[in-house]
Amino acid sequence: MGEERDLLDSLLMELRRGTLVLSVLSQMGEKKYGYALVQSLEEKGISMDPNTLYPLLRRLEKQGLLASAWETGGSKPRKYYQITPYGQEIYQKLKAQWEEMVAAMERLLQEEDV
Amino acid sequence: MSDRERELMERYIYQVVRRLPREQRREMSLELQELIGDMRETEPSMEAVLTRLGDPAVFARQYQDGRHYLIGPEYYDTYGWFVKIVLICTVVTVLVVSGLEGVREGLMLSGVNGAESVFLSAVYGIGGGLANLASACIGVFGGITLLFAAIERGLVKVDRKKEKQWNVRELEGASGRKTLWTPDYLSPVPNKKAVISRGDSIVSIVFLVIFCILLIFAPRFFSAVFPEGQATVVIPVFNLEQWNRILPFFLLSLLIGLGDEIFRLVAGHYCKPVMISSLVCGCLQLVLAFLVLKVFPLWNPDFAVQLQVQLGDQIPPALAGFLARWNGDTVSSILFAFLAVLTLIEMGVTVYKTLRYSSKNA
Repeated sequence: MGEERDLLDSLLMELRRGTLVLSVLSQMGEKKYGYALVQSLEEKGISMDPNTLYPLLRRLEKQGLLASAWETGGSKPRKYYQITPYGQEIYQKLKAQWEEMVAAMERLLQEEDV
Repeated sequence: MSDRERELMERYIYQVVRRLPREQRREMSLELQELIGDMRETEPSMEAVLTRLGDPAVFARQYQDGRHYLIGPEYYDTYGWFVKIVLICTVVTVLVVSGLEGVREGLMLSGVNGAESVFLSAVYGIGGGLANLASACIGVFGGITLLFAAIERGLVKVDRKKEKQWNVRELEGASGRKTLWTPDYLSPVPNKKAVISRGDSIVSIVFLVIFCILLIFAPRFFSAVFPEGQATVVIPVFNLEQWNRILPFFLLSLLIGLGDEIFRLVAGHYCKPVMISSLVCGCLQLVLAFLVLKVFPLWNPDFAVQLQVQLGDQIPPALAGFLARWNGDTVSSILFAFLAVLTLIEMGVTVYKTLRYSSKNA
């Protein structure tokens, strides 16, 4: 049983991994700090561990999809991330691909149900 | 946040940050402070927060990108094999040489009689050689690892498929950022006769390593030994006073040979890079051989005279004739000619096989 569980877990993780970037980009229209993003994703049913999200934010910034700025006005300094125009462009393309993919997957999976 | 919690948080941040590149650390620790502070507001305790974040080593790993290995899977197999062969050769040769050295010393000191004392002398010699063995193994291991690391990082190009070839499409600009892989890059399966097998290499490697170690550890081997009362007289063939200056050139030449051998193995078949490497290494080795044999004072200049003095009247006529004609320069010339012919043959074979068997675009 344990083995089956492990296998299922690792397959699920793989399945989720592909959606991480798209999930993050979708939420970055307004500037957000890291943990706020974790919470807003969680509220919408996407759970993402901070130890996955933070490195991802950094990578996306390095790739030019996000931009970041420290704000020191509040009670403690916070690093805010926001999508860049280039990120926006990529996001729209990814989104279109995703929609196609979902439609295709749905057809595949329904075929089986019949 | 209590002091204890702050302490825990700082410990955690330290454990993550110390694993990251130096220039990222300051900002990362600020980011983590922010994150942990935020999480603490929703989680019941600092322990819960840190447990959720998980092992700091794993967390830090997520941040690392790029290459964090010295020798990757592509060359690891060849590397492992190479290290194994060379280390075995080194260990065996150093032990044998040390054993012989022990026997020789035993002979010199007391005149060994009987198998038992020969055995004891050999064991004594091997014991003395263990420090040499350790340094030889570490040196060999380091050298090979460096060479493979250079290949891994593309400082030495083995695979031509990764080279960028100019293409008309590059003029179009847009997609020209990276060369796309196309089936044109597939080099033909090498002709069976062009394959360089490990079996071929092993002979050269063994020879190179044994020669290297002999030169490093036992120049005194090449000498005539005479008992004279209690003491013994040793007449070396080589110029031992200059040995420390000559040895590096010898070793460099052998290392170049070993490098060429590694390159061949990694390439796996005769092709243009192998041919170029073989030609370059061959020429370098010839230059070094010329330096060592013809320019440096390699031979003990007094060898013949000392030997004649030592032997005195008992000198056999054949040997007397040989000694009269003993001339380091002539010996050097003969050796150099011999080495030159060997090197040229090897280079010739490589060029021939490359041109004959490797296909044009391989």
